[in-house]
Formats: sequence, structure tokens, C-alpha cells
Amino acid sequence: MVRATANLRTSYLEANEILKRPYQRLLVASIFVCLVALPAASSGYFLHLINQCFLAGIGALGLSILTGYCGQISLGHAAFMAIGGFTAVILKAHLGLSFLVVLPASAIAGAFAGCIVGLPSLRFRGVYLAISTLAMHYSIIYLATAYQARFGSSASAGIPIDDPRIGPITLSGETSWYYFLLIFLSAVTFGCFNLVRTRAGRAWMAIRDRYVAAEALAINLTRYKLLAFMVSATLASVSGCLMAFNANVVTVEKYTLDLAIIYVAIIIVGGMGSILGTLMGAAFITLLPYAIDTLFDFLPRNWRFGSTLFGVQTGAVGLCIILFLLFEPKGLAELWRRIETYFARWPFRYRPLDAVRR
Amino acid sequence: MEFITTALILTCTYALLAAGIVILYKASRVVNFAHGEVAIVGGYVFYSSSTFAGAPSLWYGIAGALVFSIVMGAFIYLAIMRRVLGEPFYVPILITIGLAIVLKSAIIVIWHANQVAINVGVRPAVWLEGGATLSYMDLATVAVTAVFFLLLHLFLTHTRTGIQFRGTAENPLLASQRGVNVNFVLSLAWAIAAFAATLSGVLYGGRAFLSTESVTIGLAGLTAALVGGLDSLRGAVAGAFIVAISQYLTVRLIDPVLSQALPFLVLLLTLTLRPWGLFGTREELDRV
Amino acid sequence: MSRNLSGLASVAALTGVLALSMPARAEDSYKIGYITDLSGPLAGSYTPTWEGFELYIKALNDRGGIGGKKVDAVIDDDGLKADRAVAHAKKQAERDNVLGIFGLSLSSTQAPVYAEMRKMGVPVVSTFSGIADALPPAQPFSYSTGVVFEIAGDAIGELIQKIKPGAKVVGMSFDSVGGRAALAFNKKSVLAHGGTWDEVIFPVTTSDFTPFAQAAAQKAPEIVVGHYGSGQNLGVIPALRRSGYAGPYVVASYGVTEDTMRQAAERSGDGSNIYYVTRYSSSTDKDPSVAEVAAAQKKYGTSKPFSSMHVTGWALGKFAEAALKACGWPCTREKLDKAMQSLNVPMGGLTGGAIEMTATDHYGPSYWKLYVWNANSNAMEPKSDWLRKTATGYK
Repeated sequence: MVRATANLRTSYLEANEILKRPYQRLLVASIFVCLVALPAASSGYFLHLINQCFLAGIGALGLSILTGYCGQISLGHAAFMAIGGFTAVILKAHLGLSFLVVLPASAIAGAFAGCIVGLPSLRFRGVYLAISTLAMHYSIIYLATAYQARFGSSASAGIPIDDPRIGPITLSGETSWYYFLLIFLSAVTFGCFNLVRTRAGRAWMAIRDRYVAAEALAINLTRYKLLAFMVSATLASVSGCLMAFNANVVTVEKYTLDLAIIYVAIIIVGGMGSILGTLMGAAFITLLPYAIDTLFDFLPRNWRFGSTLFGVQTGAVGLCIILFLLFEPKGLAELWRRIETYFARWPFRYRPLDAVRR
Repeated sequence: MEFITTALILTCTYALLAAGIVILYKASRVVNFAHGEVAIVGGYVFYSSSTFAGAPSLWYGIAGALVFSIVMGAFIYLAIMRRVLGEPFYVPILITIGLAIVLKSAIIVIWHANQVAINVGVRPAVWLEGGATLSYMDLATVAVTAVFFLLLHLFLTHTRTGIQFRGTAENPLLASQRGVNVNFVLSLAWAIAAFAATLSGVLYGGRAFLSTESVTIGLAGLTAALVGGLDSLRGAVAGAFIVAISQYLTVRLIDPVLSQALPFLVLLLTLTLRPWGLFGTREELDRV
Repeated sequence: MSRNLSGLASVAALTGVLALSMPARAEDSYKIGYITDLSGPLAGSYTPTWEGFELYIKALNDRGGIGGKKVDAVIDDDGLKADRAVAHAKKQAERDNVLGIFGLSLSSTQAPVYAEMRKMGVPVVSTFSGIADALPPAQPFSYSTGVVFEIAGDAIGELIQKIKPGAKVVGMSFDSVGGRAALAFNKKSVLAHGGTWDEVIFPVTTSDFTPFAQAAAQKAPEIVVGHYGSGQNLGVIPALRRSGYAGPYVVASYGVTEDTMRQAAERSGDGSNIYYVTRYSSSTDKDPSVAEVAAAQKKYGTSKPFSSMHVTGWALGKFAEAALKACGWPCTREKLDKAMQSLNVPMGGLTGGAIEMTATDHYGPSYWKLYVWNANSNAMEPKSDWLRKTATGYK
């Protein structure tokens, strides 16, 4: 099927379509069907892995909007997740409110925090912004540690949380979490796809690319930068809350700078400025340690000595960041795009009419 | 008296770290988030090379750490950072973050996350009142830091290459067109920074011990550099002093657990009141 | 084009490798799990304990295993983080189908693991650090063969009376569940014997102890007790000496290795006045049971120098063997749990007496000894006999 004259759009509505071609719609639909049918064909452990990917994806989408679409570097993602986790603890474990209250509450707490953490972005750009978010991260984590020391058994003990209940359904066990997260992630992804097509999305991309021109075009930098931080923090907080319920324990030790860096790695590996890329990156980075674990099973027994495996697992993420930045800066999304266009344009190599790629 | 000496030694440790970060920023506008990790890996290398033949030996240690730091610094630049010259600002930062992770995991893989102490020069040298002692390592910390800063200052202000550092940072393209060997300048900057970091790591390992958790001193060093001004050596010392004093006072007078977060509170304060640091140049802030 | 191919290849490899990580088929061995800190701040203490356990299992398998069936231990690293510990516990229970989980790390990471595994019905036996879950009245599926801090603090308070009765004691610890519990009971015991008490607490991730050591020295103690692991002692002992405190320092053995003691002693002048309270014999002890562990260490090799932590892990291995043997074949989690509730495992010279557990007491009597460090022979010398403590009365 030759589509040499594809991508000619005659209205803004058509240009903004998410799934343009029939094969793309077919692909997405079949993936969705597979995802829905997956639990029937896989073990609890595999579902557990997929659930971790979903959870990471929700958080990563937030960072993708902030850094990928709005161009604000932020190392404070782990702090937002901590806010989500601790909101869950305060409201569920210590005040006994229901899950249906806790989840929106953590979203609101996240939005609030995002607004505050986003304030330095009005003053700084680049490295200094990254450093201010870093400072904010440590401040929030200090508060969380103090809380855990007072209300947990000690400063380094976790606070347990019960499984969440939505009406008559209790989310415990991998299958129920799987369906819940599938629906939730789909909703969030759909929301993000739409968000970047709106006025706010276009404003963000303008800020990312040419902020001076954006300001000259009367785009209110303050408003949109703060909005980006708020959206990002909301998603991260919700993700943190869900992770806390999923793990049934909340410790402040989980929310390290390393966690924030893992999310940064996700959007780098996935590709900045691409929702699909973020999801692919989330799956890649989440599953990487387990893949290394399995790989090590094939090595002779004495290579598994002591902590070598765990060192390699940790180092692999760092190595991925470096390698992707050196050799494939636009991430897995770019890889996918290149393969997709290769097949879409075959046997032609170049597009006859070069429209703007999204 | 004890208070003064401890504060001084802590200042020197942070000052060395800050110096490394400042050198790099002065030469390439890159903030090195892997500095703490380079310092600690350097300390581990010193430990390994000094205990290589059995009893801890100063000279083997120095040789090993010296060679390692210079090679490592040059390698980081030539193999990695050089390829991303010209890319958007966030790329080198993210690469150094990735590097930090790789180095930390190297500690786990190569040294099995062992906690090691550098036992060279730890015999008591000076006795203070109350029975407290200062070891040779403590004295060396202060002496080495002073000498290092002096030499560095002379290098940056009085040698040709040192002055080229600044030009390379502002506009590498222009500098290279004017005959500055940008690759040489930048590899030198990285080598000096790695050397300063290793120095700091070794001195720290001699006083406390080295483990995978020690890499957090890198962030304290970064804070010190920021408080003093990212492109000022004088600021590195001043910033280190402020961070060291506030940390020490917090432990002794307020709450020990707060001391971990303290550098960041100082950082927040600085960023709010005077973001370009005490001695930094103001225009740096507007650069992306 | 080659970039596309290499990219595709790596993604395909990742997927393929993952597909291979699906759970295996039915086992022909006893599968047990071990979770501990292999790469974090206390790796220096917890890794040798695991290695001691591994040595015992290797020796056991070489003897033919239990009734001809080998024992397979799955090891995971929690990096001293509670959430990772729980995640690994769940993974070991669901994917690796372990019969029981052993080891664990810092006290603060243990409560969630105990709680989750209780829900899944998997017995958990902690060693060398234990929280009060195992003390009577014991929680189901929760056991410990190690150092439960309430009892340790009490035993230490009693044993240090042999150094200087009724002294002013300053206790140091890091901020963890176990640390605080140990200090609380140490304080009680010291006060009960007529001494006075003060304490210094620092964050778990501290590596520069100078300010804390100075704070402790300024309180003018007659004895200082340190309730933390290897690395911390390595930092604290020289710092204390440098701050001018030359008096007795007691290492409460939550994982302190003799190699660390040697290094700490070297750095602090003459290495005198360093004591050591432990539940399991020091690796420098002359007892034949300890020599057995040393021989195994020489035979199979370990990455950490031989220490009393290896002895502790070895003792846990002995306990595990006895439990699995009592469980029989085929063994299930419920059977293993039942078997553990009526065990009496003789320990020889590894500790002062047998490990005994009942349905309500999942810890049993414990035996504690005071040693003093001899810098000339780089060894621990016993300074007291085994002090017996029962597990009742601490909850």
C-alpha cells in the first residue's frame, strides 16, 4: 500500500487527530484487546511485573508533560510521589478514610505541592531550576522523615496500609490491581494525549522551544509553567498513592533521589515529548532489572556472588541514560517512528511532501 | 578548640569538592552531579592500591589514586562529554547523573559494597586539651587543601591555559577558532576536577569511612559550590565554610537527624536570596 | 538502518529474556528464600550473615541434603529499604514458591515483611536482627534466631556490670526501630543495676561520626555502648578516641565483624578497652563448632573476611536444616510452620545452649557473652560466661 501523498490535512481538526491512519487504529485496538485478555494467559508474577509498569507509567506521564512538553527540568518527582504516599498514610492508616476519598485527596495535595515547587521555575531556567527542584525534594523528604519518626515506629520503619476497597471490590492480588490500573492508565493516557492538543499543550511546547517568542505572543509564562508543574505533581502524587496501596507499606526511604532519576531515565529512554515513548520507556526501565536477574540465572553460579547482580541492576539504568543520550537522544519513540515510517513509505525512502511531524 | 579544628577539617573536605565543581563549571558550564561518586570511587581506589601489598602504604595509595583520577577525568571527557558538545543544556547534566549511578554501582560490583577505612596516617599527631587528638590525616587535610587552592588559583590566573578556561566556557566555538585547543582544555578541566574529588574522597575516607552511602557528600559539595558561586574559587571556600559550620552546629545544638537535610535548607535559602552565590557573577543566572 | 536494527534487537532481547523469567516447574528440592542488605549501608554486617547461611547450605547439600533432597536458597537484596524487602518477599513467595523466608535486614524493614508474609502464610525467620514479633506471645509465622533488641539491651546492661558496676553509661544508636528499642531496654537494665544513663542518636546513613562522638564524649561517660552495625563502629570508635574518650567501649553485636574491630582498633591507638557482647560465638573463639564454620569458609570461600556474622548465619542454617527435616517431604508452608513450633536445635559451642521454640514463643531462651578485644592477638577473649535470658516479659 503506497501512501506517497499521505499527511495532507485540510483542517486543524484533522491535523490534530491522534490516530491518523486505519492501521494505527487497528493496532491500538488489538493491543487493547490483548491487554484485557492478558490475565487469563499469564501467571501472577508476570501480572505483578505489568502492574509495576503501569504504576511507573502513570508517574512518568506527569514528568513527561513537565519536562518533555514544557521543557522544565525537574528532579523533584520522587518528592511528589512521597506526598501521594504520605497522604495515603495520613488519611487511610491514621484517619481511616476510604480509598475513594484518599485518591482524589492525594491528587489535590500533589497539585498544591506542584504549585509550590513550581515557583522557582518562574525565576530560574536550566541547571538552577534543576537544583531548586532538588532542594525542594530534600525539604519535602525531610518533612516526611520527621512525620515517619513521630507517627511510625521509628524514622526508618515503614507504615503499613491496608488494601484499598472500592465499593464492594477489594484490590488485593494481582488480577484486580491489573484491571484497575489498566483502566486508570488508559484514562490518564487518553487525558494526556488530549491535554497536549489543547491550548495549554501548545503553550507548553512554545515555552519549551522558544520561551522569549512565547512571551512575546502573550502566552502567560507564569500560568502555564505552574500549570505544568501542577499537572506533573498531581499525576506523580496519584501514582505514589497507588504504589503505596499496591505495596501495602509506606517508607520515606523509597522516595530517594535515585527514584527521581529513574523517572528521568524513563522519559529519556522513551523519548522526550512523546506520550507513547514515555509508556515504552516506563516498561523498559521497570522491566530491565528483572531481565538482568533472569540473564544472571544463565551465568555460572559463582558469578552471582554477593551483590554483583544488584550492582549491575543499579548500574544498568545509569548506563541506559548515558547510552541513549549519546546514541539515541530522542529515545525509543524515535526508534518506533523510524521503523513505522520505513514500512509506511516503503518502497519510497523519503516523504514526497514533508508535513510537520508530531 | 576541638570545635574549631573539626569545623576547619570539614570545611576543607567540602572546599575540595566544591573546587572540583567550580573548575568544571568555569571551563564548560556543566554542573557535575557525579562529583561525589568520583570522590568516593577515588577513595576506594586509594584504599585498594594502598593495601595492595598487605599493610597500608601511603605511596602506593597516592600513586594509584593519582593515576586513577587523572585517567578517569580525561576518560569521562574524551569518551562521553565530548560527544555531546553543542547539545541542549540538559544533556550533559543528565549524562553526569547517569554517570553517578554507574559509578555508585561500580562500588557495589567491584568492592562488594564493603565499608572500608583508609588507615594511612591515622596515628595521633597533636594532642589537644580534654584528651582529644588530631591525626596526621587531619593535619594533611588542611595543608593539602591550602596548597591545592593556591596552586589552582595561580594556574587559573597566571598561566595561558588557565585563562583559556574561561573563554572555552563562554563560547567554545569562538575559542577554538581563536586557536584554543578546546579538547585539551576541557580534558584538563575534567582531570583536575577528578583529582580534586579523589583528594577529597581520600581525606574523607581517612577520617570517617567509605561506603556506598558516602556519595552524599557530593551533594554537600555541590551546595557549597552554589552558595559560594559556581564560578568562583573563593566562593568555593566560603560556601564550604558556611555549609560545614551550619551542619556541625545543627548536629551539636539542634537535632542530629536534621543535619542530613541541612545543606539543602542552606541551598534553598541561597537560591531565594542570592541565587548566583556569594562570589559568583550575576549574569550566570540568565544563561540557560 | 543499522541503528534501527540494533534498537529493535535490544527490545526483542529484552522481551525474550522476560518471557524466560516465567516461573519454573515443580521442584525437586527444598526451596527457601533469603532477603537481606547486600549493597546498602549495613551490607558489611548482613552480607557475611548470608554468606554463613550459604556456607551451611552448601555443606549440607554436599552431604546429600535432607533425605536426599537438596536445599535451594533464593537470595535477594533489599538495600535496607522496607518496600524492596516486601516486594522481594512477595516475589519469592509467588514466583519462587519458597517454603519460608530467612534472614531479613534492619529491624525497620522487618515489620512489613512479617505482616505481608503472615497474610500469605509464609513462615519468616529473621536472624541477627529481630523485632519483637517473635517474642511471646508470638505472632503467627514470625520467628527469630537472632538478636531481638529488647532482650539484647537488657542482657548488655547486665553484662557491662562486669566491666564497671553502677557506672554512668552513654548509649549510642542510629534511628531505627531496633536501635531505639535496644536503647530503651539497655537504659532500664543499667538503671536497675544502679548506674546512670544518657544517649546519643544519629541518622542511619551517617558516615562522619565526629560530631556525634564529641557529643557523647562531652557527657563524661564511664562506659559507652554502641548499638549498631559494623561500619558504624568503624567510624565511631576512632572518633570517640579522637574526642578524648579513652574509657571502655562496648560493641553490641548487631553484626560487627572481627575485621572491623581490627581496623577500628588500629585507627584508635592501642585498641584497648574495646568490649563485645554477642549472642553467637566470636569467630576467633577456640570452640570446635566455630572451627567447623572456619573450615567451611576456607573450603568454599566468601567475599567477606571470616567473622562472627558468618557464625550467626551458619547457626541459622543449622536451624533451617532442623526445621526442614522436621517438616519432611513433601514440605508445605503450613507443615514447616508447625514444625518450627516444636523445635529444639542443639547448637554446640555456637551459642550457650540449644535454640528452642514453642507455639507461643518463637524466640526461645538466648545466651549472651561478653568478650574483650585483644589487640596483640587480634582476637576476642571471653570475659564472662554465657548469660541465659528467657524471652518472656518483654512485650
